[in-house]
Amino acid sequence: MKQIAVRILQAFGLVLAVIVLNFMLVHLAPGDAVDALAGTAGEMSPETTERLRAQYGLDEPVTTQLVTYIGNVLQGDLGVSIGNNNRPVTEMIAERLWPTVLLSITALSFAILVGVFVGTLAARRPESGFSHFTTVFALVGFAMPAFWTGYLLLIVFSAKLGWLPVSGMEDLRFRGGWFAQQWDVAKHLFLPALALGLIYIAAYSRLSRASMLEVLESDYVRTARAKGLGERSVLFKHALRNGVIPIVTVMGLQFGAILSGAILVETVFSWPGVGRLAFEAVVERDTNVLLGVLFLVSLAVIIANFLTDLLYRFIDPRIRVSGSANG
Amino acid sequence: MRAETPLRSETPLLSVQGLTVTFDGFTAVSELSFDLYEGQTLAIVGESGSGKSVTALSIMRLVTLGTRAKIAEGQIFFRQPDGSTIDLVQADEAELRKIRGNQISMIFQEPLTSLNPVYTAGNQVVEAIRLHQDVTKAEAYQRAFEVFERVRIPEPKKRLKEYPHQMSGGMRQRVMIAMALSCDPTVLIADEPTTALDVTIQAQILGLMRALQDETGAAVIMITHDMGVVAEVADDIVVMRNSKLVETGNVFDIFEKPTAPYTKALLASIPRLGSMTGKSQPERFDLVDMDAPV
Repeated sequence: MKQIAVRILQAFGLVLAVIVLNFMLVHLAPGDAVDALAGTAGEMSPETTERLRAQYGLDEPVTTQLVTYIGNVLQGDLGVSIGNNNRPVTEMIAERLWPTVLLSITALSFAILVGVFVGTLAARRPESGFSHFTTVFALVGFAMPAFWTGYLLLIVFSAKLGWLPVSGMEDLRFRGGWFAQQWDVAKHLFLPALALGLIYIAAYSRLSRASMLEVLESDYVRTARAKGLGERSVLFKHALRNGVIPIVTVMGLQFGAILSGAILVETVFSWPGVGRLAFEAVVERDTNVLLGVLFLVSLAVIIANFLTDLLYRFIDPRIRVSGSANG
Repeated sequence: MRAETPLRSETPLLSVQGLTVTFDGFTAVSELSFDLYEGQTLAIVGESGSGKSVTALSIMRLVTLGTRAKIAEGQIFFRQPDGSTIDLVQADEAELRKIRGNQISMIFQEPLTSLNPVYTAGNQVVEAIRLHQDVTKAEAYQRAFEVFERVRIPEPKKRLKEYPHQMSGGMRQRVMIAMALSCDPTVLIADEPTTALDVTIQAQILGLMRALQDETGAAVIMITHDMGVVAEVADDIVVMRNSKLVETGNVFDIFEKPTAPYTKALLASIPRLGSMTGKSQPERFDLVDMDAPV
């Protein structure tokens, strides 16, 4: 329990550091949202830009702006979007959050389930054709960027075959019951989740193959066989739980990568998520929105790693009891 | 050395005949034959790489699972409790699974790594019991509790709930023995069960195994390279070297009058108290000429 409290404190410090770093990074770039507004408007008098800068506090020194920002964030206020008629950033993120969570979780679960299953089967017969195929597939899968895979999938399944919708999260003309509506979302979700998950299926299948190969050589697997257990129980009860430990570690670390992958995939598929919001904010130099999204992503990664730690403790009792893998 | 040698009038419980095991063309065990009788303790002795562990794993055909090993020749006849005899080399996997852990059990060298680190000791023993016996989970736990008591595990109730890493090496080996004995096997194969343990625990575990054997009447195959262990527990010995059988016989006869040069060298290698009196260095061993006539 004490360890968990320490972890929460660490996480809090980390969030603070991330806010400062993000803020400095965004402010390092020349120009600000008022410049972008002036650009969009075509022309803006120096008086108006000065007035706007004063209104949003952009004329203050960066350190003052930073302190004000941190104070606001701690109170749950992420500021307003200058490019979007002063809409609160929390409101804008809130309405885009669910699509991104849905996309990321689906892609991640899909990648873990398929990747681990394929890797485990490949480890069972490391010399088989299937095992060699997974190795090649993993290499190819890992080498393909998510946005490129996304376009390929779009061309094949939406444009040529017409099986799945091209973009968005739901059909605007859709009329029907609740279940039909979920089915409609699922159809829209399939291709983006596949594009985002494919690269991780490759990574997880490769990782679980290597991990399972090692575990299947271990003494306790031999003990399980000597007990009279069938290969399925040996594989899925005794070997897999030990074999997934490195996968859980990587899963926590890769959650951030999944979210950044989501930005690209959401742009390709016009998925109305946080990723696309970030993309729009970059284009419009909408500092508060960009900072808000970065804050949220950092928070998500920290929470994901925290949960990974808990999951780790659940899977491996050696960590649960002593706090170290060596017992 | 054990005082009484069991009577040999009956047919053997386990008969290994002409066993040859290969790994990618390399012969690990070559034309090995021996018999095991009820209540007997047979020691298979030899240096590392002599093929003794492969022999042990071949009996339950564990050697071929997940490896490239192949039983190239030979038969392993096993007399089942119902009186029927089965050739373990020809038996299918389903038949073998009923025998493994049930009629023939095995204890391994490394108690540290032989138990699954992510399951409790109780869970692992209960799994073995429920696999071979038609009992409820509660009955299986009760049975596991009794076996833990039988192998002299202190506070068995507490130990059932513990994970392997919470136990000492000796305790883990007791759990392994408990698991092996949980279904009352007729044959127990122990592959260097005391090698990884320190000397006082070794003596405890050997003493325990002997006591349990007297209680259950199981036949034991003890794989070891330690002649001290052989002298303590075995009735008969099979000496192996370079995948082949060198010599076999009663433990008294072999310790008294070894015939093969290798066996003589093996016995000469046992350190004796006082043997270095007046000498500054231990004596060099003679090189063993395996081809010398016996």
